[in-house]
Amino acid sequence: MSSRVEILNDGGYRSDGRRQYELRDIDIDLSQQGTADGCCTITHGLTQVLVTVFGPKEAKMRSQTLHDRAVINVEMNVLPFSTGERRRRARADRRILELAATIKSTFEPVVQTTLYPRSQIDIFVQVLQQDGGLLHACINATTLALISAGIPMTDFVCAVSGGVHSTSPLLDLTTLEENDLPHMTVAVMPRTGKVTLVALETRLHVDRFADIFRLAGDAGQALHKEMKRAVKSRATRLVGAMETGMKPPMGGADAFERDVVMEDKMSF
Amino acid sequence: MHKRAPAFCSAARPGASGFCTRCLFRRARMPRPASPSIPEKEFLYSSLKQSLRLDGRNLLEMRAPTLTFGPELGWVECALGKTRVIAQVDAKMVKPPPERPLEGIISIHSELSPMASSEYDSGRPSDEEVTITRMLDKVLRRSDVVDKESLCVLAGQRVWHLRLTIHCLADAGNMLDCACLAGVVALRHFRRPEVEVVGDEVTIHHPSERAPVPLSMHHTPYCLTFAYFPETSILPVLDPSHLEETLSAGLLSIALNAQRELCVVQKAGGVPLAPDEILRIVGIAVDKAKELDKTVEERLKEDWAGRTVEVR
Amino acid sequence: MSLVLPGEHVPAQHVNLKLGPGLLQQSSPGGESSIIATRAGELNHSANRARWWVESNARRYVPAPQESVIGVVIARSGENWRVDIGAAHMANLDGLAFEGATKRNRPNLKVGSLLYARVSLAHKDMEPELECFDAQTRKAEGFGEVKGGFVVHCSLKMCRQLLDPKHFLLPMLGSRFPFDAATGLNGRVWVNAKEAKHIIAVSRCIEAVDPDGGGMSEAEMKKFLGTLDI
Repeated sequence: MSSRVEILNDGGYRSDGRRQYELRDIDIDLSQQGTADGCCTITHGLTQVLVTVFGPKEAKMRSQTLHDRAVINVEMNVLPFSTGERRRRARADRRILELAATIKSTFEPVVQTTLYPRSQIDIFVQVLQQDGGLLHACINATTLALISAGIPMTDFVCAVSGGVHSTSPLLDLTTLEENDLPHMTVAVMPRTGKVTLVALETRLHVDRFADIFRLAGDAGQALHKEMKRAVKSRATRLVGAMETGMKPPMGGADAFERDVVMEDKMSF
Repeated sequence: MHKRAPAFCSAARPGASGFCTRCLFRRARMPRPASPSIPEKEFLYSSLKQSLRLDGRNLLEMRAPTLTFGPELGWVECALGKTRVIAQVDAKMVKPPPERPLEGIISIHSELSPMASSEYDSGRPSDEEVTITRMLDKVLRRSDVVDKESLCVLAGQRVWHLRLTIHCLADAGNMLDCACLAGVVALRHFRRPEVEVVGDEVTIHHPSERAPVPLSMHHTPYCLTFAYFPETSILPVLDPSHLEETLSAGLLSIALNAQRELCVVQKAGGVPLAPDEILRIVGIAVDKAKELDKTVEERLKEDWAGRTVEVR
Repeated sequence: MSLVLPGEHVPAQHVNLKLGPGLLQQSSPGGESSIIATRAGELNHSANRARWWVESNARRYVPAPQESVIGVVIARSGENWRVDIGAAHMANLDGLAFEGATKRNRPNLKVGSLLYARVSLAHKDMEPELECFDAQTRKAEGFGEVKGGFVVHCSLKMCRQLLDPKHFLLPMLGSRFPFDAATGLNGRVWVNAKEAKHIIAVSRCIEAVDPDGGGMSEAEMKKFLGTLDI
């Protein structure tokens, strides 16, 4: 199938003006939403995903609990206006169930569930906008939401998607590129460099696979720096606010109420 | 996101795996199956550390697949040890959807009933069922196994609709590989009736009048599943048995064909692996796929030689 | 000696007739009673023709009192333990049903522990109950928690055969290498040996001789043993 738009032109630029190994703009928002224990909205270019985490909390059905660990439940909801054309998806759409199951099994070994036996951790993923790279955006958002909820994890999980156009590897594909090229999503744990998720669904030659695989691993490390920066900045502001609250009030011993308005939104 | 959305996508059909679209609420799930006892768990890990498997196989040895062909073309039963799956292909002529007038339609219907194992519920599909159904879909349909354009008979009017049905009979570990193998062999085994197009008229010839035609396939993918365990000193095993699957810390499924092309690589969570380890496993999978391909070819040839197709 | 099918009439007559598994006494409207078989299998009787039963195979265990079984601890409910013995219901094991157990001195079981126990109570309307000591002597006699080793699943007939001292399998294996085995009548056999390859060998032999999985004879087993790495 010939594409009307060039994926990679001779000057080395892609259809949206990026270079070959360039990731899309990242926007991480860790401000609290409602009563969720942890929340994160991540935007990769035009793909926007919101993840809220509740837990660890009492399990709804005792039969679903494990006696020595917490159970992680992931529910995913793709909003009908997230794609170009409005499309309502059934709650139990196979693809959505599969993505939810993938996220669940990705985080089960990373979250220290043995600290919370017989409880459950709920992760709700809302896809607000889709422009390619859905799985890796969901995984990054889930990592940050779990960190923001204070649930102990052994490491970050940073995911990125990669593809290959004839022989040149590309990173962080948009919908246009995903439709045309073989692509895969790789999630790494940056501290050890080990890979925790690989998802390839299109035909790809083994040698090309090795190239993109390594490249995606390195990109995950780069992404880790950005995520760390966002978390650190929020943590610093939180600690700063707590210290402000603990200083003796200026008007004497009466004024204990403190409304601290924080600006959490980080944009790069 | 679907690259293409054929009208009869297995995801859109209600009841594809017993799920009723009217009852969208979650049905009460069956209680979790009892996990293995402590001695079984410890024994499995300690013997795997010594590279011994419970059924006497090597770590990277697959159970020899037994393929039994039925009397009609396109019916095959695949057995990997005690794991058994039946796959069947049939074809009928339909009118294509308006957005794709030049392609045939392939739909995969997989049945994972409690007959295979008491872990499979007939209510809302469990995580394992969803994984197997989606993997089958990715390996057999989305990776373009069958050339859809060859299924077009009369553009915009008549195309072939192939229906691949997969019944899982018994689960003794690694149902996914068995189901993929059964599906792909059934597609190779199947012969569709010959058609003749004169102007706007389409005549379907009965198999006794004209020899049926094999499907035109781009490639033959095989799925190989490796299980790895929480202790890093234990190497991954190929084709896990039921106990190995239950006690594994993660599964890595690789679907590829004999021409060194990867169709699906799925490692969803589980113990993280070093990138070199994954590439090493991919290398092993390439060799195993070649062996499997040879076995399947021999078996198909054997069966075809034993059949007599009468042509008037 | 002879093969019977469900519904077939069985000519069992004795003053003190005892019917074993697979036989049912039915009274017809005329007032006479007849014995019919309810299972398909081999009809057997004792030497004095007082006890009759049908020998058949099954995989699902139905608890009967005074039978030794191997169970896996599933959960704890108060002072008792819920144990899975492969029957229709979970069995109940009192926390004090061990030799020398007092309220202060209890055995420390965990979820997932393996037990060799005796079915003390088995009614079709109640959950089965287990005890971990011998009925007469009230001593452990081998019952209790078993540690290490491995559990092999087999059919019920295989278990009965393994408990028969005249069966060839266990002595044949015992002559090659030393091992411990505890056979439960619920289709589970616990095996322990010093080396993992010996345990694997016992497990594979049991599966091979199992009537469900092929039913090897003694001669075939000798050949099979030759192929294993012992």
